[in-house]
Amino acid sequence: MLSAFGMAFKTPELRKKIFFTLSIMALFRFGSVIPTPGVSYTNVKQCIDQAQGGGLFGLINLFSGGALLHLSVFALGIMPYITSSIIIQLLTVVIPRFEALKNEGQSGTATLTQYTRYLTIGLAILQSTGLIAVARTPGRLISGCSLPIIPDASWQRILTMIVVMTAGTSVIMWLGELITDRGVGNGMSILIFTSIAAGFPSQLWSIKLQKGLFAFLFVCAVGILVVAAVVFVEQAQRRIPVQYAKRMVGRQAYGGTSTYIPIKVNQAGVIPVIFASSLLYIPSLLVNFTNSQAGWAVWISRNLVRGDHPIYMAAYATLIVFFTYFYVAITFNPDEVADNMKKYGGFIPGIRAGRPTSEYLQYVLSRITAPGALYLALVAIIPILALIVFGASQNFPFGGTAILIVVGVGLDTAKQIESQLQQRSYEGFLK
Amino acid sequence: MALALSIFLVITSVLMILLVLLHKGKGSGLSDLFGGGISSNYGGSSVVERNLDRITIVVGGLWFAGVVGLSLVLKG
Repeated sequence: MLSAFGMAFKTPELRKKIFFTLSIMALFRFGSVIPTPGVSYTNVKQCIDQAQGGGLFGLINLFSGGALLHLSVFALGIMPYITSSIIIQLLTVVIPRFEALKNEGQSGTATLTQYTRYLTIGLAILQSTGLIAVARTPGRLISGCSLPIIPDASWQRILTMIVVMTAGTSVIMWLGELITDRGVGNGMSILIFTSIAAGFPSQLWSIKLQKGLFAFLFVCAVGILVVAAVVFVEQAQRRIPVQYAKRMVGRQAYGGTSTYIPIKVNQAGVIPVIFASSLLYIPSLLVNFTNSQAGWAVWISRNLVRGDHPIYMAAYATLIVFFTYFYVAITFNPDEVADNMKKYGGFIPGIRAGRPTSEYLQYVLSRITAPGALYLALVAIIPILALIVFGASQNFPFGGTAILIVVGVGLDTAKQIESQLQQRSYEGFLK
Repeated sequence: MALALSIFLVITSVLMILLVLLHKGKGSGLSDLFGGGISSNYGGSSVVERNLDRITIVVGGLWFAGVVGLSLVLKG
């Protein structure tokens, strides 16, 4: 396995790609610590040292690798792009024109990507305005801190900050696309990976400072175990055998092979977790913006804002299970797969082609998604359990969403490097 | 000084956004984001794209210099 790493660096083009990716990642991290002009960096630093804990912006802060609370140039991070991808993805179900574009193939997908990018800029303007509006009043962005984060709140200054943050988001988008184009792996997911992984060391260290060496080692051990378990489940798949009939086209014989349709246990990836947590932020956002003291607002802030409340956990888990089924239904269409198989003369042994095949696929899919959905819900709840057991902060380093994303992106990138390596030799990282 | 730098920064920021939007988007949305298939991206970039890249890099450098400059001016 180590020799494979050596091989990866000995192959000239792969080495170039890896170094390119690493340097873009470094650039991204560098931009994440540069404060936006107009923000008092010393005050922000004091505030963050005073008050620990995620609060309202916990998840978004996780995705931006701590850049959000520092109000850096890249404060919004990759979040606007994720949100806009989610919106476009959901709209393909609703708007017929988008669905037509999606079915059109490559050119249609390119148009959709372009829409996603426009929407990203729009969302970035919205989010940066919101973020600065919150940060303007002392003590709202980072609770319990009365130092002014933005000392000079004249409108020119505010406008400049909004424009700079929006431009920062577009730069991030471009960096991600550069990685996709010329580096290894998918740029956007690698940037998310970078910002999440960047938080790990300092969070681990803060556990050691707060709870001592034993808890630190224990957390490390649990983390490694969880990673191993996540890798195990992520790789798990059911292989439905497919036999292709032999046929002659002209003078050439096609088919006659037997392959399989891989159906992963966790077909949906981490997207359900992201959907569910973004949805659960809406009530608390609402309460925060309206600042109302009515009965419903009090109920929400009592039950749905704190991560360790039973109602919150139950709602979170239910939403994850729901979105897992929802997303699998969007991405895997049994009718289409059955139709394609019929077209090319393929069949599942023992099952007739056409509708019975599609019904069979649907049956297998819905059965295998059940453990997948439960697994996602369980992994996502680990940090909340840790919150109860340890009393650690909510951004527990080996938290569910973070681990799922890091492992998912890591596996994916390793597979891509391997496939490029196999153009030269057949030995890879993953057996 | 601060005002001039602010105006410069706003202009370069808007330029930056426009230039990035001019690029052809790579990757295909969300399904690609977290473990989709391996997307094949063969075919080099055209001359237009390469020139666009150069312009974007130059404007990006200017933008970055503007950010650092304005921060320093406001601090001092």
